Amino acid sequence: MLIRRFLTAGTLAVALPFCAHHACAHEGTGHNGGRIADAGPYHIELVTRDRRVEVTIYDAKEKAVAPAGFKGTAILVVGGKPARVVLAPSGAGLAGEAEVALGASPKGVVQITGPDGAAASGKFN
Amino acid sequence: MVPFRLPAAPRALAAALALLALPFLLTVARAHEGHDHGAPQAPVSKTIAPRGEAASAVFELVAIPRGDVLVLWLDRFATGEPITDATLEVETPAGPATAEAAADGSYRLSAPWLATRDPGQDHLDLVVTVTAGTDVDVLSLAVALAPAEGGKAAAPAPAGHPAHAGHDDEGWVQALGERLTEKLAARDPGAGLFAAGGFVLGLAAMALMRAGRRAPVLAVLVLAATLVLGATAFAHDGDHPETRTALVPPAADLAQRLADGAVFVPKPTQRLLSLRTQVAAEGAFRRTIALPGRIIPDPNASGVVQSSVGGRLAPPPSGTFPRLGTRVRTGEVLALVTPPVQRVDLSDMRQRQGELDQQIAIVQRRVERYLKLSPGGAVSQVQLDEAQDELKGLKDRRTALDRIRQEPEVLVAPVGGVIAEAAAVAGQMAAPGQMVFQIVDPQRLWVEALSFDALTPAADATARMADGRTLPLAYQGAGLADRNQAIPVQFAIEGGSQGLRVGQFVTVLAATDAERHGLALPRASVVRTANGQDVVYAHSAAERYEAKPVRIAPLDGTRVLVEAGIVPGTRVVVQGAELLDQVR
Repeated sequence: MLIRRFLTAGTLAVALPFCAHHACAHEGTGHNGGRIADAGPYHIELVTRDRRVEVTIYDAKEKAVAPAGFKGTAILVVGGKPARVVLAPSGAGLAGEAEVALGASPKGVVQITGPDGAAASGKFN
Repeated sequence: MVPFRLPAAPRALAAALALLALPFLLTVARAHEGHDHGAPQAPVSKTIAPRGEAASAVFELVAIPRGDVLVLWLDRFATGEPITDATLEVETPAGPATAEAAADGSYRLSAPWLATRDPGQDHLDLVVTVTAGTDVDVLSLAVALAPAEGGKAAAPAPAGHPAHAGHDDEGWVQALGERLTEKLAARDPGAGLFAAGGFVLGLAAMALMRAGRRAPVLAVLVLAATLVLGATAFAHDGDHPETRTALVPPAADLAQRLADGAVFVPKPTQRLLSLRTQVAAEGAFRRTIALPGRIIPDPNASGVVQSSVGGRLAPPPSGTFPRLGTRVRTGEVLALVTPPVQRVDLSDMRQRQGELDQQIAIVQRRVERYLKLSPGGAVSQVQLDEAQDELKGLKDRRTALDRIRQEPEVLVAPVGGVIAEAAAVAGQMAAPGQMVFQIVDPQRLWVEALSFDALTPAADATARMADGRTLPLAYQGAGLADRNQAIPVQFAIEGGSQGLRVGQFVTVLAATDAERHGLALPRASVVRTANGQDVVYAHSAAERYEAKPVRIAPLDGTRVLVEAGIVPGTRVVVQGAELLDQVR
C-alpha cells in the first residue's frame, strides 16, 4: 500500500513540472524555427531568411492551416526603415520577397486576411 | 451496480496514469488562455464611440471610426506628448494609405471601406507604420466597430472554418450564461419571475404526478413550454434595431468617470488638459527635512548708512535722495547731515570770533611794524618770523570757526547694491546712529533657517517659496547659540534670486544622511481626494486613467517619494492630475 502511495506521489511530482511548462504556451520557436505570435483566431509563425519572408498559419490547436484563400502583408522594421512585403500562398504557408535583406529577427507586424475577408495581425518584437 | 469493480492496486495505477495524462490534456485547453485572439476590448461605456488602440515602447495610437473617416491620435508612450508631425501609413482593406495630419492635432484617413464592410464584422484589423523623426514602429491596431444599422449585431462565424470549429460548440453555452448574468446584473424582474414561475410549475407537476393524474401533468408541461418559448422571445428584445438607436454614441466623446472608478479621457480632452505622464522608476533618495526660514541679505554684500552726528538731513549735491530700488555704487554720496548749532554755542562762538578778530588786528599791526624795523636791525628776524606765524595761526583758527558752522557730514554708500530701505526726508532731524538707508545686493541673498537637528555641512538644500518656486541653496554655516530652541543655519541662494525680497518666508528642505527607497514623482502628480487620501493617476491604457492610492513622503522642493501604492514602470500623470481628478 505504501509503495503505491509513493508511486502516485512520484507520478504527481513528474507531472507537475509538465503542467507548469505548458502553461506558457506561446513562448519559444515554432515548428520551422521561427517566432510565433497570435493573430486573431490563428497563430502565425514568421521565418525570415535573407530577403525571403515565410509565414505559416496555425489554428487554435497548433495545426497548420492550408494557405489557400489567404493573403497577407508583412511590415518589418529593418535598419530604422519599414519594409513592406506582400505575402501570397506558397507551399505550406504564405511567402514574399523583401527589397532589402532582413535581419535574423526583425521586429514588425504580419497581417493576414482570411478567405472570409477578416484581417488579423500578429506583432513580432 | 458498477459492472467492473477494479481491485485496489490497478485503481491506484489508473489514477496515477490519469494524473500523468492530465498535463497533455491541459495543453489543448490552456493554449488559449490569457489572450482573446484579436477581438478588441469592448467599449467601456455605451456613450463612448467604439475605438481601437495600440501601443509600443515609443508610440501610443488611438483610432476612432467617424462615418467614412478614421481619426487617429498619436502620442509618445512614456510622456503622453502629442506627435503631430509624424507619417502614418495604414494597411487598410483597400490597400496601403497615408493618413493626413489635421489642424486639431489628429490624423485623418479617408475610409470609404468602413461603409461597405461586412455587417457581421465587429472589428477591423489595421497595421499602422509610424515614422516620427528617427523613430519607426509598426503597430497592430484592432478597431472596434459599431454594429451596422439594420443588420444583425454579430453574424455567426462560418461553421466549417477549422479555426472556429473548436470554439463554436462552447459559444452558445457561454452566450446563454452571459445573457443571464446581464439580465441579473440589470436587475431585470423578468428573469426572477421566470425562475420563480418555473419552480412553481415544477412543484405543481410533481404533485400531480404523485396523485397519478396524467392529463393535468400534460397541461402543466404545455404551459411550461409556452412560458419558455415566450421567455426566449423576450430575451431577444434587446437586439431590436429601434432599441439600439437610443444607444448611438454622440459625435464627440466626453471625459467621464467609469463605473469601476477609472477615468476615461478621450484624446482631444487629453490634449486640452495637456496631460503628461512619466514612467515611475525606483531609486534611493536622501530624505529631506523642512525648516522654517526667511531671506536675509548677504552680510558681505549689504550695508546700512547711518549718521554719526545728530543733524538736519539734506539731499546730496545731485539734488535728490536715492529712491527705493536705486542702484548705488560704493562711495556714492547719498545724503548730507548738517549738525545744528545751539543758541549757547552760538554766543560762545561769536565771543571767540570777536576775540580772534581782535588778536588778528593786534598781531597784524605788530607784523607791519616789525617789517619796517627789521631791515634796520632794530627788531631781530626771529621776532618778525614769530609774529608772522602767530598771525597765520590766528587766521586759520578764524577760518575753521567759520567752516564748523557751515560744513555738513557726508553720508556715503559703504557697499554697492540697491537701496532696500530709505528713511530720508529733506529737513528731517537725524539722530546719531539712526539708519538712513539700507543697501542690499539683490544678486547675493542668503536664507537663514532654524534647525532642530545639526545639519551636515555638505548637505544640499532647496528652498520652497509660497508660490511653489524652488531655489537651490548652498550651506554656509550654523550658529551654536540656541534661538527658540533651534540653531540658526545659513544658506546662500545659488543661481538667480530675481523677485525675492529680504524678510520673505521660505521653507528650506535640507537633505539628511538617511537614504530611503521608493519612486520619486513630481509634487504635482499627487492629488488629494475628497476623503483625504493621496492618489496618483496611472495611465493604464491610451484613454484610461486609474486613481491609485499611495503613501507619500516629502523628498525635496519639487518631488515627493511614493513609498507604496504603485509599481515601477507605471505611467503616472505628472501634469494635469488636478484637472483629471475633477472629471465626474
